[in-house]
Amino acid sequence: MSSYIVTTDHLTKRYGERAVVEDLNLRVPEGCVYGFLGPNGSGKSTTMKMLLSLIRPSSGQVRVLGEPMTRATRRRLLGRIGSLIESPPGYGHLTGAENIGLVRRMLDLEQRQIDLAVRTVRMQDQMDKKVREYSLGMKQRLGIAMALARQPKLLILDEPTNGLDPAGIEEIRRLLRHLADGGVTVMVSSHLLGEIDKTATTLGILAGGRLLFQGTRAELFAAATPDVLIGTADPQRAQALLSGQHDARIDEGLLRLCGLSPDATAQVVSHLVRAGLGIYEVRRQEQSLEDVFMDLTGGGGL
Amino acid sequence: MTLMSMIAAEFAKLARSLSWTVVVLLPAAMVLAGALSSLVAGQQPADGWHTVWLRSVVFYGLFPLAIGVAVLGSLVWRAEHRGGNWNALMSTPVSSLRLVAAKTAVIAALAMAMQLVMLLCVTVAGKAVFALPGMLPARYLLISGVIMLATVPLAALQSGLSMLLRSFAAPVAVAFLGAGASTVLLLAEIGPIVFLSPYALATRATQLGTGTFADGGEIAGATVGSLLAATALLSLVTIAGAAAILDRRDTRT
Ligand SMILES: Nc1ncnc2c1ncn2[C@@H]1O[C@H](COP(=O)(O)OP(=O)(O)O)[C@@H](O)[C@H]1O
Ligand SMILES: [Mg+2]
Repeated sequence: MSSYIVTTDHLTKRYGERAVVEDLNLRVPEGCVYGFLGPNGSGKSTTMKMLLSLIRPSSGQVRVLGEPMTRATRRRLLGRIGSLIESPPGYGHLTGAENIGLVRRMLDLEQRQIDLAVRTVRMQDQMDKKVREYSLGMKQRLGIAMALARQPKLLILDEPTNGLDPAGIEEIRRLLRHLADGGVTVMVSSHLLGEIDKTATTLGILAGGRLLFQGTRAELFAAATPDVLIGTADPQRAQALLSGQHDARIDEGLLRLCGLSPDATAQVVSHLVRAGLGIYEVRRQEQSLEDVFMDLTGGGGL
Repeated sequence: MTLMSMIAAEFAKLARSLSWTVVVLLPAAMVLAGALSSLVAGQQPADGWHTVWLRSVVFYGLFPLAIGVAVLGSLVWRAEHRGGNWNALMSTPVSSLRLVAAKTAVIAALAMAMQLVMLLCVTVAGKAVFALPGMLPARYLLISGVIMLATVPLAALQSGLSMLLRSFAAPVAVAFLGAGASTVLLLAEIGPIVFLSPYALATRATQLGTGTFADGGEIAGATVGSLLAATALLSLVTIAGAAAILDRRDTRT
C-alpha cells in the first residue's frame, strides 16, 4: 500500500450535528495529479485542511507520506508538503521578494531553491512589486511559489485556478503537469471539471461531503451508464406505456432512458414490442465527462 | 527553523509597519503631556529629574503602556489574520511554541524600544525644556532595565489575545480593563498581584524607586527580585499557554 502518498480512512468532520465531510476513503497514488472535484460547499477545502491537520477530524484517520497526520506529527510532515488553501497568502505591505524571503528565513532554505520556485511560476519579473498591487493570478502564482520553495514531495492546491482568466488557468495546468513530471504528487481541487479534467490522472468526486467516485478518467466513463435512446413510431405512446416503471423523456423524437441496465433494456424493448410499437433503433449515447460529472453530483451548486 | 530565524522573519514583516510610529509617538506624547502640565502650572519641576520622571513614566505605566503594547500586538498579528496567511503559517513545519515565542519576542522588543524612546524624551525634556542640572541619574537607567523586562509577560499576553481574536480592538479593550483593574489592586497595596497579572507587573515596574503607590522610594533588592521572578514566571506560563492553545486549535474559515 506504500504506493499511496495520501490515504484517509472513514474521515469525517462534523460541525454540530451536520457532517460536512463523511466517511471519506481517499487513495492518492504517488506521482499522480489527483483532481479533487466537487460543487461549492461539497467539503473539498475541509478535507484538504484535515490532510494538513489545519483542522482535526471528528473521526477517522489521515495518513500522509506513510505516517499518520496528527497534531503530534504534523510539524515534521509539513516540511515535505507544500500547500495553498482557499485564498493565497502574502503580506500586502511587502514586495513579492520580501514575502518569499520570509519563507526562506522561516524554513532555512537556500536562495537557489527560492529562485527555482519563482522561475517555475514565472514570477521573476514581478518580485519587486508590493503584493498589494498584484492581480489575483499573480497572488496565486506567488502562493504556489511559496509552497514550492521547500521542494515538497506532495503539493496540495485548493482551487488554484479560481478567479483566473483562461490564459492563467492554462498556465497553472501546464505548471501542474510540469511538477508531476518532476516527481511531485499534486492534489488539486476544483468545482469545475473542465479546469483539471485534462491534467488530472486520477479523479476523486465529492458531493455533499461524500466521495461519489474515485479512479481514473477511463474508470469514470466505465462507471457511468450511458443513456439508452429508442427510436419508435409513437414516442408519446411509448412514454405512456413505460410510465410508472421508468423515467422516460422524449428528446428530439427519441425516447431517452437513463441508468438502464442491459437486462432492463431488454425488458423495455420487449414490453414495447408486445404492445405493438415499431422499434426502429435502440442505442446507447456516449456521455461527455462533463455529463458524467453533472449526473454524479446532481449538478448542484455549480 | 531555529528560533532566531523565526524572529528574524518576524522582524522583516515589520518593514514599513505602523508599529514604529507607535513606538516613537506614544512615549513622546507622554513626556510632552507631563512637561506641558508643568509649564502650564508655571512651575519648575520641584524635585528636578524625579518630578519629570514621575509625570511621564509613572503616568505612562498606569494604562498607556498596556494600551500601547496591545496596539503593537494587534498590529503584529493583523496581517496573519488576512487572506490565506493563517493557513500558510499553520502549514509550515515551525512548531507552535517557536511561533508564539517569536511573535512575543518581536512585540516585547517593540515595547522595550518604547522605553528607550521614553528615556530619550525624558532626557530631552529635562535638559531642553527645564534646563535641569546634570544628566538623568543612572538609577533611571536601572529602573528602565527592570521596566523593559517586566513588559515581556505583557507582550506575551497581548500577543496571545491578538492571536486568538481576529478583531484589532478587542485585545486593546482587554488591556484597558486589565490595566484599570490592576491599578486599583496596586492602589489597595495588594503586592502579590504582580505574580498574577502582567498588567500589574508592568505598572508596578514603572513605579519602581518613585515612592508612588506601594513603592517605598528606594530601589530595594527584594522588590526588584520579586519583579524579576514574576517576570520569569508569567512569561513562561503565558507563552506556554498560548502555544498549547494554538496547537489544539482548528484554523478558522
Ligand atoms: N467552521 C465551520 N463551521 C460550520 N460549517 C462549516 C465550517 N467550515 C465549513 N463549513 C461548511 O462545510 C461545508 C463545506 O465547506 P468547504 O469544505 O469549504 O467546501 P468546498 O471547499 O468544497 O467549497 C459548507 O457547507 C460550509 O458552510
Ligand atoms: Mg473551498
